[in-house]
Formats: sequence, C-alpha cells, structure tokens
Amino acid sequence: SSGQLRRLAAPHVGRSEKVTSRIQLQRRFRTDCRSLAYAKDLFLGKVNKAEVFPYPEIGNEELEEINQLVAPVEKFFAEDVDSKLIDHEATIPSETLKGLKELGLFGIQIPEEYGGLGLSNTMYARLGEIFCLDGSIAVTLAAHQAIGLKGILMLGTEEQKTKYLPRLATGEHIAAFCLTEPGSGSDAASIQTRATLTEDGKHYLLNGSKFWISNGGLAEIMTVFARTEVVDKDGQKKDKITAFIVERAFGGVTSGKPEDKLGIRGSNTCEVTFEDTKVPVENVIGEVGGGFKVAMNILNSGRFSMGSASAGIIKTLIGLAAEYAGTRKQFNRRLSEFGMIQDKFALMAQNAFVMESMAYLTAGMMDRPGLPDCSVEAAMVKVFSSEGLWICVSEALQVLGGLGYTKNFPYERYLRDSRILLIFEGTNEILRMYIALTGMQYAGRILTGKIKEMKKGNVGVVFELLGKKLRDSVVKTVDLGLTGNNGVVHPSLTESAKKFEENVVFFGSTVENLLYRYGKTIVDEQLVLKRVADVLINLYAMTAVLSRASRSISIGLRNHDHEVLLANNFCSEAYFKNNYLMTQLQKNSPENNDANIKKIAMDILEKRAYICSHPLDRTF
Amino acid sequence: MNSARRLLQTQYFRCLAAAPNYRASVQHVVFAHPPRRTSLSQLQWPRSFHGSPGCSQNRPVTTAVGQGGEKKEKSLVTYDELFEQVARDAKSKATFNRVVDIFSKRDVRRRGHVEFIYAALKKMPEFGVERDIAVYNKLLDVFPKEVLVARNFIQRMFNHYPRQQECGVQVLEQMENYGIMPNVETKVLLVQIFGDKSHPVRKYQRLMYWFPKFKHANPFPVPRDLPQDPVDLARLSLGRIANDLDSTTTVYQMPSTDLSETGEEISLPHIVGTQSPDQRSLLAKHNPSRPVFVEGPLPLWLRGTCVYYYVLRADPPPPEEKVEEPCDPELFGPGQSIFYPLVVDLALDRDLGDDYSFDVDDVEEGVVYAMCMTGQGDQATLGRWISGLQETNPILGQIPTLFRLESGPRELQGASETPRGPDIEAEPRTMEHEPFPEEEHQHSQGMKQ
Repeated sequence: SSGQLRRLAAPHVGRSEKVTSRIQLQRRFRTDCRSLAYAKDLFLGKVNKAEVFPYPEIGNEELEEINQLVAPVEKFFAEDVDSKLIDHEATIPSETLKGLKELGLFGIQIPEEYGGLGLSNTMYARLGEIFCLDGSIAVTLAAHQAIGLKGILMLGTEEQKTKYLPRLATGEHIAAFCLTEPGSGSDAASIQTRATLTEDGKHYLLNGSKFWISNGGLAEIMTVFARTEVVDKDGQKKDKITAFIVERAFGGVTSGKPEDKLGIRGSNTCEVTFEDTKVPVENVIGEVGGGFKVAMNILNSGRFSMGSASAGIIKTLIGLAAEYAGTRKQFNRRLSEFGMIQDKFALMAQNAFVMESMAYLTAGMMDRPGLPDCSVEAAMVKVFSSEGLWICVSEALQVLGGLGYTKNFPYERYLRDSRILLIFEGTNEILRMYIALTGMQYAGRILTGKIKEMKKGNVGVVFELLGKKLRDSVVKTVDLGLTGNNGVVHPSLTESAKKFEENVVFFGSTVENLLYRYGKTIVDEQLVLKRVADVLINLYAMTAVLSRASRSISIGLRNHDHEVLLANNFCSEAYFKNNYLMTQLQKNSPENNDANIKKIAMDILEKRAYICSHPLDRTF
Repeated sequence: MNSARRLLQTQYFRCLAAAPNYRASVQHVVFAHPPRRTSLSQLQWPRSFHGSPGCSQNRPVTTAVGQGGEKKEKSLVTYDELFEQVARDAKSKATFNRVVDIFSKRDVRRRGHVEFIYAALKKMPEFGVERDIAVYNKLLDVFPKEVLVARNFIQRMFNHYPRQQECGVQVLEQMENYGIMPNVETKVLLVQIFGDKSHPVRKYQRLMYWFPKFKHANPFPVPRDLPQDPVDLARLSLGRIANDLDSTTTVYQMPSTDLSETGEEISLPHIVGTQSPDQRSLLAKHNPSRPVFVEGPLPLWLRGTCVYYYVLRADPPPPEEKVEEPCDPELFGPGQSIFYPLVVDLALDRDLGDDYSFDVDDVEEGVVYAMCMTGQGDQATLGRWISGLQETNPILGQIPTLFRLESGPRELQGASETPRGPDIEAEPRTMEHEPFPEEEHQHSQGMKQ
C-alpha cells in the first residue's frame, strides 16, 4: 500500500501562478486539444480513473501563498463587511468596495503582468469560499470576473488585454456580462440586440436592451452579445451572434433602475440599453459571428466556483448553528442531544463535504494543462451545490426555529441569497438537460452501431448481450479496478467504491437501454433526462468524495476518519438513490409515475389553474 | 291489510266494469258501483309497472285504452279549466300555487288528485314554473299522506296503488327532464306518501345517484340563461369556439342606430372578433401573394339558440412553400450549454415498443387567423372587421382578402328572437348542459305520450 500512497500523493497538478498565466496565454493557440471525458465516460459504464484519481493537489508554495491571501480577506469580511447593512440598504458601501479592490479581489484570475493576482481556478475557488459570505459581494465579484471580463481574459487579443485588463484588475473599472434579453431568458438564441457595421467599416452601431444585468449600473466595461450580419461560406447572409467589448464611454449606454430582489440585494441588477452605441471593430471578442462560442466558454468556466462558495456558507452556518444547539436547552436537554437536530448537522456536514470535494476536483481538472472540457462537470457542481445549499441553509435556520426566521440572525438572509444560485448562470433545469444530453450524445455516437445491429437482430450481438446479462446475474460483483491490489481507493472505502462501481455499470446499461428505446427523440423526454442527470451528478459526487477521502486518509490529514465516515455515508445514500432512479428508468417500471405527472400537469396547465373542486363543494 | 285488499278488489272490479267485453257478464257490479269518470281514466294502465298476474289477466287493456283515453282527456279538461280560470289575468308561480291550494282545500279526500297532478304537470311550463323545485314539492304534497303506503311485503311486492305511484314517478320524471334536482323535502314527501322502497322513492334514489354524477359532465357548460345583449352573446360564443386563454376578444363596432342627413335610419350592427397571439404570428408569416378568405356564416348552437360566426382563413400552403426552419446547430446542436441542446445528432430512432403515437390520417387544413360575429353578415360589415383587424395585423394590408359568404341566415338569431314558446317548452332534458336541442325535442315528445 506504500505504492498506492506514493501514487496518491505524487502528481502535483497545480503550478505557481506564473505558470498559470503562461498557460492562459497559450490557450489562444489551442495547441493541445486533449479533451477530458470523465463524466462522459460514465455514460458508457466506464470509470476513467486517471482523470479523477488521485485527488488534485496544489504545491506547497501555492498553498502558502493562498493562505497568506486568505488571512487578510477573512479578516476584512469579518471586520469591515456589514452584510446586514448591505442587505438592508440594497447597496454595497463604497468603502467596502474600496477595501475589496485593495485586496485585489477584482482581479483574482487576471495575470500578474496585467496587474491581477494571476491565480488558478483552484485558488479562485478557495477565495470564493470567503467572499461568498456576503451574497451581494460574491455576485458583484463573480459578475465582474467570472463572466464579465472572462471574455477578454480567455479570448481577447493582446491589445484588448493590455487596454482593458489592468484597470479591471484594480477594480477601477467594473465589468458586466450582457447576454440575457427581455424576450430571451434562457434562450439566448432569440437575442434581438443588433450590431450593424457603419459605412466606413470601422465601427459597429449597437442597438437593443439587455435585462437582469448584474453590475449593469456600475459597469464601465461590458461584454455584450449582439446579432451581426455575417456572410457564410455559401455566400448567404446570416445573422450570427458576436461578442463585443463595450465601454460605457462609447455613449448611448443607459442603465435602468436597479431591480428590487429577494436576495443578493446589495448587488446591482438592472436593465442596460444601448442606443446607437459606437463600438470599434477592434472590440470584437473572438471572431465576428463566433459570439456564441465565447458565451459558452465564459459561462462554462464560471460555474465550478459555486461549489466551494456554497460549501463556505454551509461551513459558516454549521459553526453558528452548532453554537446555538450546544447552548440552548429544551426539556432539560441541550438541542444537540436531540436526534432530529443531529440529523440536520450531519446533513449539512455531508453536503459541505461533497460540494467541496466536487468543486476542488473540478477546479483541479480545469487547471490541468491543455484545454480540458469540464463543462459537464462544472454544471454538475453548480446543480448539486446550489440545491444542497438551499436545503442546508433552510435546515440551519430550522435549528434556531423562530429565531432563525428573524432578521436578528443571518440565516434568513443566507436563505434569500442562496435562492439565486438555483436560477442564474443557467437554471438548474437547463443544466440538467445539458448534463444528460451531452452524455447521451457522447454515448450515442459510440453505441449507435451496436444498437443498430441489435435492432436488426444480429445474432452475434444479441448473444453477446445475453451472455453479458447472464454473467452479470451470476457474478454480482463488478470490478472496475478502483479497489484491490492496483486500486486507487483506500481500503477503508472499499465498500463505497464497490457500490460506486456497481452503480456505474448499471448506469452504463441504463443509458444503452434508453438510447435503444428513445434514440434521438430522447431530447423530448425531459423527465427521463432529469433522472439521468441526477444519477450522473450522484456518480460524480461519489467519485469526488472517494477520491478526496482516499487522499486524506493516505496522507494522514487531520480528522481523515471523519472524512471517511462522511464519504461512506454519502456513498451508501447515493447508491440507494441511484438504484431507485435507474429502476424508474426501466421500461414499465411501477416506480415510474411520469405518465401521471404529465397528465396532471396538462390538466392544470390547460386551465391555468388548480382545477379540483373545493372539498366543501356539493352537487346536491 | 284487509282494507288494502278490499281496495285492490274494487280496483279489479272497476277494471272489469270499464271493459266493454265484460260489461255484460259483470253487469251487477256495474250497477253496484256506477263508474265514475275518474275510475275510467284509471284504465290508462301504467306502462312501466308490472301488476300481479291476476290483475293483468283480468284486464282487457287493448280496448279499454282508447275509451279511457278519451274520457281522460275530458277529465283533464276540467282541471285544465281550473287553471285557465284562475290564471286568466296572469300566469305565474303565485297563480299556479293558488290553483294547487284551491284543489287541496276543495276536498279532504283529494278526490281526483292523480288527474289533477297530471294536468298540473302539463301546465307547468305555461306558468313558467317547470324549473321550480318548490312547485314540484307542492304538487307532490297534493297526494294524500300515509294511505298509499304499503303495509306489508305482499303489497310492496304487488305494485300497491299503481296509478298513484306512477303519477308520483311522472312528477319525478318531469323534474328529471328539466334537470331539477330533488331535495330533502321531496324525499320526505315521497316517503310519507308512498313509503320506503316504493317506486317513486326508488326513482328518487336513482335520480339522486345519477344527477350529481352528471352534473359537471360537460367541461364546457353553457349558461342556462344566455346573455340578451348580442355583444355579450358574441363574446361568450367566440370564447367557446376559440378555447385559447391568450386570445383577445375585441369589439370592433358597438351596435348603434344613427339618423343620416336624409333622415334615413342607419343601424350599425355589432362586430365582435377574436384573435389569439398565435394566430397573429401565423398571420404575420402568411405569404402576402396568397389570398385570405372571409368565410361564413357558420352555425354555433348554444342550447336552443343558434348563432353564426365568420372566419378569416387561408388555404393550406402548397408543399413547396413549407419551409422547415432549420435548427442552427451552433445554437441548438449537441454540446451547447448556454441552454441545453434541442437536437441530438444520432442516427437512432425511437424504438417501436416505445412509440405510442397514433397513426392518424392528417387532413391538411388552412389556418384560421381570426373569427368574428356580427349582427349583419354582409361584405361591408365584414370589411369593417378586416380593417379593424388590420390595426393589429398590418400585413393584412398587403394580402388580398376574398369574401366567400354563403347566403345563409344573415341575421343573428339572438336569444331574444328565438321563440321560447310551447314548442321548445320542454327543451332541456335532464342535464343542464344539453347541446342539441333537436334531441331535446324527441325526448320531450317521448315523455308526453
């Protein structure tokens, strides 16, 4: 097992920030197109061990550096940020913003040569754990750098970078990301904002308005997506989406009244209108007509940090609620002695642990050299952590009962703030569809031939399938090589790893079955896809906790036994959930109520009202 | 028991007495009991009840009916006259009740109550009380209480007081035909009069079983009293045809009468139209080189009223003009994560075992873009509708509009104009929502016989 330990500890994936910035520079050249396929391979019933084991680490220097950074930020948030005031006044005080700028939090991922901190995704996630403690600040910072300036950072030209990044890094200019429009919420394809080339061909005239723009009222620099006329290779004129860097100074930019929101009240969300805004052609990000790819890349790269942020909030709330549960006495016993209260803390701890594991695993994958496509993984982190956070905050509030409901405690604010996570940067419904369909597409490409043969009644394929089924029914245990002599999982997690393997194999056959049944019409089976996405999210979460707990136990981190406990507990829970979900996915499964669900919904939606008679109604 | 038996016997004798074939043989009986008018009408024997075998053996039904029917008419006439007398000035619930009261007070024995009730049932629509439960209860109250109740199982078995029971059932049946739900008072009365498990009580129980079940059977109920205002009626009708919650109904022109300069009276008919946003966007996509048609009048029945509407429609587009809007793979293709992919690029179709779609022969039809109702279905009026539509559908200015109007009824047969006299009197059978008045006629005729 010493060999195993060495293997677990050996690869240091992270690098110093200088290396990071160099890699970010390299990204433009796209030399390395290694595409990572951990989540996608799960659809085939395969575990791509090398991608997720061992758990990604950062180097000692980096760790030291991040710890040096974290300390002052923590201190600042503890002492100088009055979240209650921000929430009440619905604005972030300028001194607070100034403090954030001084800490360099407006340029976390901007390379040092442009005046930023030049940190990797992993380190960004670490800082996110702290600045999420105030939802308004977190959203302001995220809208600025996770999406607002990402376009320039990732796909901008050298000139664009030198022109804009330095002032963005210091926070002198704040950035915003303008994609959503009144007529297009999640459907970005119906963008109406239009950019027309002027006659001299040097400028675009931008017209249209954008809705729900975070930082819309503060931003100097905006990434705006608009329709442009593009001549495609057939010589036909087509409308395509292009991304522009728009300065407020270009003129014609007006922002509306800030929206009055349920949560994240201190962040500025408003409508931004462009009226004949003159944008120079140099300010196009990427290619003309390639804006969609830009938007996709930006959004995909921003989601992973929600995992660590959510975990950060839960960790704080656990501290607060545990303090209360330990001191409050009811019926001559402390709250902490009651099973139902203990249940809540276990749930919170487990959720925080899983979110953290998923977030840093994904961040680590994204920090690897090349152009890893972690969009599915990042989407899974977002879905899992946003839903987990919503439940956990609510449970923490419940520990305090009525007190938690008052404004004297921060729980209600966290509850309101956390609600937005289920909605923005792609609603969870849309991300579930994305997760499931991306995987289905990947698996479908590979399995099409086999399924076609099967449908034709090819004896060989059918016999192979029958043989496999027979083998599966006789030999219950599945071995994907996670455990055992050459295993990557620590022996104390063997059982969980076995459960995971069993689920993965079952998932593979479920996916095959679904493809056989639905083919390309799977797109319309949203209830099926929802379950597929849920299973995949659970599988990825299991992977993350197995990998992380194995590492912790192998290198002897403090309280690693607790981690193992959490990991085992989560895995067995997820195992049952997955089995149930996949049973529902089988044909004619009695557990599956989809037909009823659809019928109920249709009955109601047809009338657009609840249609049951009142229980007190009579007919005679 | 004894008295009941005696009553039954006298009944037999009366039957015999009334039958001419037997008249000679049982003449002494006839003399002993001179047949009264009432007893003759008894010969119109119940259709639905089975008397005892002995009874039916002795009853010469065939010949008796003709005679008895004649006599019955006569007997009814007297009660009809009673109604006519009282209601000479006004036919209302009050006068109807007065007639019933008069009858009830005239004779403690309530002699001839069955005939009276039949006559009253027939008169009810005339007095406009055919939907009044209280009146039905009052009518049932005419029956003497307790004397008709069967006292043992044999009486219960052998159709006790069949004529009275049948009359009671007839009252309930008329209630059923008008969709009137009996209430607790009805039940108490029936039990008092006929006793448990008698035919009228059974009828009552059946009514109470089925009526509530069918009360809301129609998901699109038509109100009992249709609005009198033609504009409101048009709104209601259009709302029924265009069952789209988004559609907006617009009154393009209110009905009004003007005096022109020459002193002529110009009446402007109402124009009420409806159009949904979907229809509007379909119309916006219409190829302007192809005409749209205004067609009509098309009938719509609302209970006993028929209204007419007009549609603006197009012919189905020829196959070459059908352009499937291509799905932009960059925006909707696989691997797009701003939103989920709307298509998956796979060569696999749905498995036959999971294909639950029906194989339906689709008949291609043109799109209906809008509908309207108007008081006057001429081209000028409908033209005003089209120009009103043009405000929200500017494309109509470019599309040639053809009027294909049939010479059907041009006038709106509003509720006010529909004769609601005796021929539709028995119009709604049973349930509140009966769409076909023709059927109702048949039912009511069947009932009256």
